[in-house]
Amino acid sequence: MSSETTTGAMEPARSDVERLHVAGLHAPTDAVLSVRDLNVRFNSENGVVHAVRGVDFDLMPGKTLGIVGESGSGKSVTSLAIMGLLPPTAQVSGSVRLKGRELLGLSDKDMCKYRGNDLAMVFQDPLSSLTPVFTVGTQIVEALTIHHPTMSRTAKEARAVELLAMVGIPSPKDRLKAFPHEFSGGMRQRVMIAIAIANNPRVLIADEPTTALDVTIQAQVLEVLHTAQEETGAAVVMITHDLGVVAGMADDIMVMYAGKPVETGAVDDIYYNPRMPYTMGLLGAVPRVDVAEKSSLVPIEGMPPNLLHAPTGCSFAPRCPLASEACHDGEPALAPVDGQGLHRAACIKSEALGGDVDVHDVFAAPPVPVSRFDAVPRAERSTVLQLKDVRKHFPLTRGALIKRRIGTVKAVDGLSFDIREGECFSIVGESGSGKTTTLLEIMEFHADQDGEVVIGGLSNKQAADAKTKAKMRRELQMVFQDPTGALDPRFTVYEVLAEPLQNAGMDRGAIRKRIMELMKLVGLQPDHVNRFPNQFSGGQRQRIGIARALAVNPKLVVLDEPVSALDVSVQAGVINLLDHLRAELGLSYLLVAHDLSVVRHISNRVAVMYLGKIVEIGAVDRVFDNPRHPYTRALLSAIPVPDPQLERTRERIILQGDLPSPLQAPKGCNFATRCPVFAALPPAKQEKCLTLEPPLEAAASATDQQFACFFPDGELDEDMLVVHETADHHAP
Amino acid sequence: MLKYLAKRGITYVVMIFLTTSAGYFLAVSSLKPALLEQERIPRPTPEQVANSMRLKGLDPDLSPWERYVDWLTGIVTRWDWGRSPNGAYINAEFGDRVWISTRLFLASIILTLVIGVALGVYSAARQYKFQDRVITSYSYLAYIVPAPIAYFLVQLGAININESVGDRIFFVTGISTPGIAPGWAQFVDMVAHYVVPTVAITLVGWGAYQIAQRQYLLDNVNADFVRTARAKGLTRNQAIARHALRVSFIPVAQSIAFTIPAIFAGGFFAEKIFAWPGVGSWSIDAISLQDVNAATATLAYGSVIFALGAILADFATTLVDPRVRVQ
Repeated sequence: MSSETTTGAMEPARSDVERLHVAGLHAPTDAVLSVRDLNVRFNSENGVVHAVRGVDFDLMPGKTLGIVGESGSGKSVTSLAIMGLLPPTAQVSGSVRLKGRELLGLSDKDMCKYRGNDLAMVFQDPLSSLTPVFTVGTQIVEALTIHHPTMSRTAKEARAVELLAMVGIPSPKDRLKAFPHEFSGGMRQRVMIAIAIANNPRVLIADEPTTALDVTIQAQVLEVLHTAQEETGAAVVMITHDLGVVAGMADDIMVMYAGKPVETGAVDDIYYNPRMPYTMGLLGAVPRVDVAEKSSLVPIEGMPPNLLHAPTGCSFAPRCPLASEACHDGEPALAPVDGQGLHRAACIKSEALGGDVDVHDVFAAPPVPVSRFDAVPRAERSTVLQLKDVRKHFPLTRGALIKRRIGTVKAVDGLSFDIREGECFSIVGESGSGKTTTLLEIMEFHADQDGEVVIGGLSNKQAADAKTKAKMRRELQMVFQDPTGALDPRFTVYEVLAEPLQNAGMDRGAIRKRIMELMKLVGLQPDHVNRFPNQFSGGQRQRIGIARALAVNPKLVVLDEPVSALDVSVQAGVINLLDHLRAELGLSYLLVAHDLSVVRHISNRVAVMYLGKIVEIGAVDRVFDNPRHPYTRALLSAIPVPDPQLERTRERIILQGDLPSPLQAPKGCNFATRCPVFAALPPAKQEKCLTLEPPLEAAASATDQQFACFFPDGELDEDMLVVHETADHHAP
Repeated sequence: MLKYLAKRGITYVVMIFLTTSAGYFLAVSSLKPALLEQERIPRPTPEQVANSMRLKGLDPDLSPWERYVDWLTGIVTRWDWGRSPNGAYINAEFGDRVWISTRLFLASIILTLVIGVALGVYSAARQYKFQDRVITSYSYLAYIVPAPIAYFLVQLGAININESVGDRIFFVTGISTPGIAPGWAQFVDMVAHYVVPTVAITLVGWGAYQIAQRQYLLDNVNADFVRTARAKGLTRNQAIARHALRVSFIPVAQSIAFTIPAIFAGGFFAEKIFAWPGVGSWSIDAISLQDVNAATATLAYGSVIFALGAILADFATTLVDPRVRVQ
C-alpha cells in the first residue's frame, strides 16, 4: 500500500503485526471492549491524514472511560472506527475486540449483529440525528426489530414505552406517536439514549452527548446517561472536550492529542496528578465556576499539528513550554508514571512533573491584569451604558390574509441595569431567555424603542439625527460568536480593520498607523495584515474580530459568546486577552455567555435572565457564592466542575423539563413551573408565587445583589436533588 | 388538513379568475378574427364579416369590457365558453382535445416518474461508478437536446425499424387508423400508435427527475440520522433505503407536482410532431387563427391544471413530511 509510506518511517510494518499478536494474547479476558493499536488513515487531496495513531485501551464491564481532547485530536474518529461507521475510504488497522471477538475487518453486514445490540452509540447533535419523517416510536421499535425479529408488536411497543419512561420523557405512551421535530433538543437526546440502550448494550459510546445543549439540559441528560448505565450495566465510553463533564462520571480518562493518547489513568490521577504538560495545560485553561480567587488562565500557544506529516518528535513539543532538544528526538511512548501502575504518560519529563509543580509557572500564565478603575469604588465611576425598563415584545399572529394577534412573546420584558467604566457585566441564562434580544435592542437603539438606552450619556430618545447616532455608535462596538462568519472572507485583515476607521473619517496614514497598533494590541503579527481571514486559526480570527471592535476606541464592547466556538486551549488565550485589554484600555464589557465558568472568571457583575426578565443581579462573587434565586442556584449547580472528588459528592439540582414557551408564561413568577423551591412549598404559600410577580429587590444587607423571589433560600424539593455518592470505589 | 386545502383552493380560484380575465382582455384587444375573414376569397364585405362575427358572439364593434361581460355571463350562467371564428363551439372542441392530450401524456408521465426516480436512486447508490456516470451523462444530454429534435430522432428510429422489418409495425403520427373493426385489431392499432410518442416523451423526460432524485439522495446519504440508523444495526444500504430515501423524496415530490401541469398544458411540440390534436397545439393554433375564446380557454385550462398541481404538491409534501402537517 503506497499510502503507508508516510507512517512506515515511524514504525515498521512488522512491529505492527508483532504488537497486535502480543496484544491479542495479553488482552484481559474480563474486558468487555479491548482496543489495541488502533490506527485510522484517510486519503485527502493533500495526502494521507493519519487521524488516529495507536490507541490502546481496555474497558471493564460497567466502568466509564472518558476520552478527552480538542477538536481534531481523533477522539470521534476512534469511536466511529470502533462502531465500524467510518466511510469505506478510511483505512483502519489494529484490533477492536468486543467480549473477545474481533470487530475490525468484519463486513458491514456482519458488523450489524453487534451495532445497536452489544455496542451502541449516542451522537453529538440530537437535532439532526433522528430521522425527521418517522415517529419517535417507529425509530425506537426499529432498533428492537433489527435484533429481535421475532418479538411481537405489542411487546416491542411496551418496551418502547418503558424505554421512554426510563429516559424521563413524560407521558411516554402518547409521545411514541410524536415526530422528532415536536421534541426539544434535550428531549431528542433522551430519545437517542433510549434507542441506544434498547437492546441492553454491553458498551455504550457517547460522543459529546451534551455539547449542543444548555447547562440545565446537560445536567438532565448526564443524569439520564447515569440512569441508563445503572439500568443496563453497560460500560460507557464518554467522549468530550469538557473536562468538567467527565470528572464526575468517568473511572478512567484517556487524554488524546494529535490522534494519540498522551496520558491515561484513573480519573483522580489525571485531574490531581497530571504528568503530561498538555493535560496540565488543559486543566489550567478551564476557568472554574466554583473558585473566586482570580488567577489568569493558562493559554496553550500555537495550534495542533497537521496530521499529514508523521511527527518526528513529541507532537506537543512545538506548543510545550518545557520542550527541550530531546523532545524533538523521536515520539515518546506512553510509559507508566513513576515506573509502575496504570497511570501512563507520553512525556520524557513526566517524572519531573510530579509533586507541586504549578501549571501557571510551567505555562507562564500572564499576571492578573489590574485596571486603573479597580481601585475606584463603583459608585464613583461614570456610567457607560444604562438600560431603563427596556422591552421587546413580538406579536404572535395567525392567519394568512387577515392577521389575528393570538399572543405576545415577551422576549425582553422590562430590563434595567447599568454598566460603569472599566467593568465587565455579564448576562447569563438558558437559550430562549432573551440574552441575544437584549444585545440586539442595545445595538439597534432608536428613538421609538420601548424603554430607554443611554450610551455614554446620550439617550436613544435624543438619537433622532444621524450625528448623535454616529456618536453613540462609536462608544459601542460588538464582537460576534462565530469568528469565521463575522469576517468577510474576501477582505484582507487590513481591509477588515480599515473599514470602521474610514467610516470614522480618518486619513490613510493615520489608518495605517492605527492598524499596526491594533494588531500588536491583540497579539497578532503586524506583518500579517495582508492575509485573508481563512489563513488564520479560529482563535486568531476572534482576535481580528476584537481588533475590529476596538478600532474606533469604544468605551463599551459587547461580546456575544466570544469564546464558545473556540477550543479550550485557544479559549484561554482569548479570555486572557480580553482581561488584559479591559485593564489596559479601561474598557467596559457587556458579555453574553452560556458558560458560567467563563462568566465568573471575567466578570465583575452578572445578571441572570429567565424568560425576558432579570431574576438575580449583582456582584459576580456574591451571586455565584451565595445565590438566592432558585433558578440561579439550579444553574450554578448544573455546571460540571473539573474536580472529580467535588463532582462525586456535590448536590445537584436537576430542573424538570425545558424552558417553557414564552407564550405559556404564568401570571405570577415565571419560574414557578420549574422551581425546586416552589415544588416543596405548602399550597398556601404556592398561591403567592402563582398570583404575584416577585419584584427585583436588594438582599437584606447593603450588598450588590438583587433577586426576584418571595422565598429565597427555601427548602428544595427532594425529587429535584441528585447526589452521586460513589466516592468510595473511585479511591485510587 | 381539509380546511387548509379548502383555503388554498379558494386562493387558487381567485388567481385563476384573475389570470383568465387578464388573458381575455389581452386576447380581445390584440386578436382580430374579423381581419382574417377579410382575406377570404371571395372577399366578404365588412358588414357581412361583422354580421357573421356577431352571430358567433364575437362582435368586433363592442368594446373589450362589453365583450368581457358577455363572455363572463355566458360562462357563469350557461357554462358556455363561446365559439371560434369558424363557428365551432369551444366546449365541444375542448372536451375532445383534453381527452387526446391526457391519453398522449398519461402513460409517459407515469413512466417518466418511475424510471427517473428509480434511476436516481440507483445512480446515487453507485456514485461516481460506471453506471452512475453513464446514467447521469445521459440525463444531462436529454436535458440539453431540444425536445423536438429528440422526438424526431425517435420517429426516425421507428421508421428505420419499420423499414428493416419490411412491415409497418409502428405509426409515427396520428391517434388511430380510421375504420378498424373493434376488438383485438383495434387494440393492436392503438398500441402501434401509442408506442412512439410515449417512448419519445419518456426518454426525454426522465433525465430531470433522475438528476434531482440523485442529488437529493446524495445530500442525505451521509446525514446524521442515516448514521444513527446504521448505529442501530442496519447495513448502509438498508439505512439509506429506509431513512434517507423518504427524506430525499420530499423536494422531488414537490417538483413532480409542478411539472405535471407543464407537460399537460405545454406539450405542443409533442402534439404537433406526433400529430395528436390536443390542447397544447390548440393554444398555438388559436393565436394564429385569431381565436379569442379558444386562446382564453386554453389559458384557463393551464391555470386550473397549475392550481391542481400546486395543491397536489402541498398534499404530497404533507404526505411525506410530517414537519409541515398543519394542526
